[in-house]
Amino acid sequence: MTDHPERLLSVAPSPAFWAAIVLYTAASAMLLVVLAGQTRFRAAAVWLVALALIAHGTDIGWRGTQHVHPAQSVREAIGFLSFIITAGYLLASTRYRLTLAGVVVMPVSLILLVLARLTPEGEATDLSSLGRIHISLATLGVGVFALASALSAIYLIEDRALKRKKFDTAAFKDKGAPLDALDKLSHRLIWAGFPIFTVALVLGAIWVSKLGESLDRLEYPLAGVTWISYAILLVMRQVYGWRGRKAARLTLVGFAAALGVLALYLIRRMVA
Amino acid sequence: MVGISWRTAPVAVREKLAFREEELTSTLKRLTAQLPVAEALLVSTCNRVEVYGVAKPGHQAAGAVRSFLAEQRGLRPADVADVIYDHTGGAAVRHVFKVASALDSLVLGEAQILGQLKDAYGVAGGAGTSGPVLGRCLERAFGVAKRVRTETAIARGSANVSTVAVDLAARVFGSLAGKSVLVVGAGKMSTLAARHLHAHGATHIVVTNRSPEKADRLAAEIDGIAKPWADLEALLVDADVVISSTGAREPILTRKMFKSVMKARKWRSIVLIDIAVPRDVESDVNELDGVYVYDIDDLEKIVAANLADRAKAAEQAERIVEHEAGQFEHWMRSQGVVPTIRALREKFAHVAESELHKTLDILGRREHTPAQQREAIQRLVHLVVNKLLHQPTAALREAPPDEATLRAQVLCDLFGLEPAENEREPEPAPPSAVAESGSPERNPPT
Repeated sequence: MTDHPERLLSVAPSPAFWAAIVLYTAASAMLLVVLAGQTRFRAAAVWLVALALIAHGTDIGWRGTQHVHPAQSVREAIGFLSFIITAGYLLASTRYRLTLAGVVVMPVSLILLVLARLTPEGEATDLSSLGRIHISLATLGVGVFALASALSAIYLIEDRALKRKKFDTAAFKDKGAPLDALDKLSHRLIWAGFPIFTVALVLGAIWVSKLGESLDRLEYPLAGVTWISYAILLVMRQVYGWRGRKAARLTLVGFAAALGVLALYLIRRMVA
Repeated sequence: MVGISWRTAPVAVREKLAFREEELTSTLKRLTAQLPVAEALLVSTCNRVEVYGVAKPGHQAAGAVRSFLAEQRGLRPADVADVIYDHTGGAAVRHVFKVASALDSLVLGEAQILGQLKDAYGVAGGAGTSGPVLGRCLERAFGVAKRVRTETAIARGSANVSTVAVDLAARVFGSLAGKSVLVVGAGKMSTLAARHLHAHGATHIVVTNRSPEKADRLAAEIDGIAKPWADLEALLVDADVVISSTGAREPILTRKMFKSVMKARKWRSIVLIDIAVPRDVESDVNELDGVYVYDIDDLEKIVAANLADRAKAAEQAERIVEHEAGQFEHWMRSQGVVPTIRALREKFAHVAESELHKTLDILGRREHTPAQQREAIQRLVHLVVNKLLHQPTAALREAPPDEATLRAQVLCDLFGLEPAENEREPEPAPPSAVAESGSPERNPPT
């Protein structure tokens, strides 16, 4: 593909992409409707999420046929990240009622997808397979953390409502998932995402040092913050039984740092 | 339908009119034997005593059932006339549907009435007083109740303090299966709440009380285990839901205590339901991570909010009832005619068939000339017509004068006749048997 850099730049969004945009919007709207109390549309909302995911996957596959690898650049990876988040959400919502989480997750996925496809493409970089694996794993890890964070955010909202005895808040309109379930699920996701993210980090470090770039970029300590947050979380939970609010807050801190890394990459790319 | 309910009568009157379970069958049998009632069902709960029935064709039974109800209980009908209400036709169907959907219940959307109605229907079936119309009506009512429960929020949210505890625990834990409940103090409310939690899957119920005898008694009552009061802190470490209702003057579950309890629990969540006044749990315990404290005010506020939600849902439910009742009325109307049509057709076919057989028999016995055959066929047609018209003609002739005109009119309408003046006598075919044989207008349930 390195022989045809100009073709890489000219890959236009596929019809499936536009279908995905429509379906993501529809799914978000439907989830809002469910949250507003029209619970009979719950199944319809989940189906829309599934259809959006299929359209999104089709788009990624179509780009594959045009020689666009989902992890060849940060921009592509963001689209892939959105795909992973949606897939994870769909999986989790088959077991729990995660309407509120969906109202957060689906628009985020939509924004990420639009960002990935419709922002101007920077210069095509020639990635080594090392770089590609790094980006793939980092994306996967951050996607899993994103889901864990969404659940943690819901946990904090529900916890607050329960403590303040406010039961008419949005969190309970569609009988949100129970606190314990949110806590457990978020913890499991971090368990799953942490090793992936760790490997991505190590590969990234090797890659950067191979390229001979300087290590004083802000992204690197931020990624470190993410890693350390989740490391602390896992250790403290195992040893001292940390859970609930404390754990949820730390999950959000780690994810905020990861988002910072992504934002910095994007800004740098656009400025360049 | 005829009856009384909490809407019209205070408990002092309702209890006088109530029937015990073992009296239901005999009462129903008496009711259908003594009154012009074809089908009947009697539902007697603490909030209502109602008879649902279908009057025999051509009768109005509501008044008789009113008196019957009062007399069964040794009351003078006039004394309870103000509190007994009755509905007939569509209004009765609507009422039954509403009762089944708990729209007429003291606590909107409560679940018991449906079960009680099903039981009453079973009793009527056993007593042999249930019939096709009542059966269809009740089956439909159960269907409506299901629709109302699933399509509206009428049954959502607990409507009493002891089930709210279950809801709250479910918000934190999801399923209560395998969770343990600690009952601190042996009040009546805590007993109820513990029972509800147990019914929803909580497996261990531990009771502790300052006086061990009371703890033992309560534990035996709710299938729990009594533990000594001195172990309170250790018991808190193992419990998931705590229901507290001691008569202590000072809070017994303090922040200091819970700080160490939570540490020992490794911050697993715990729900404290404090129904004691004065309160048993220090108010700042709620601020601790993973501790969710609800006092009696909180519970009552939740109940009030839930009931307000139910009232809103009731409007939606009324529309469902209205729609279903309309459909049922439609069915009833069609039911009135269908059996009559069927009977009429069968009777005609039967007459024609038997005459045809006779003629064919005669023709088959020996050789006939064509002229004889033609004659036999002519005779056959005459016979059939005469036989068919015999009963209607007789019914028309023998009808009392005021009825005769009506019957004649009906016949003209049915057969499109235009009788010449003063010439009604030779006019054939008044088959008013049609109107009599199949009870064309089934009386609606009363």
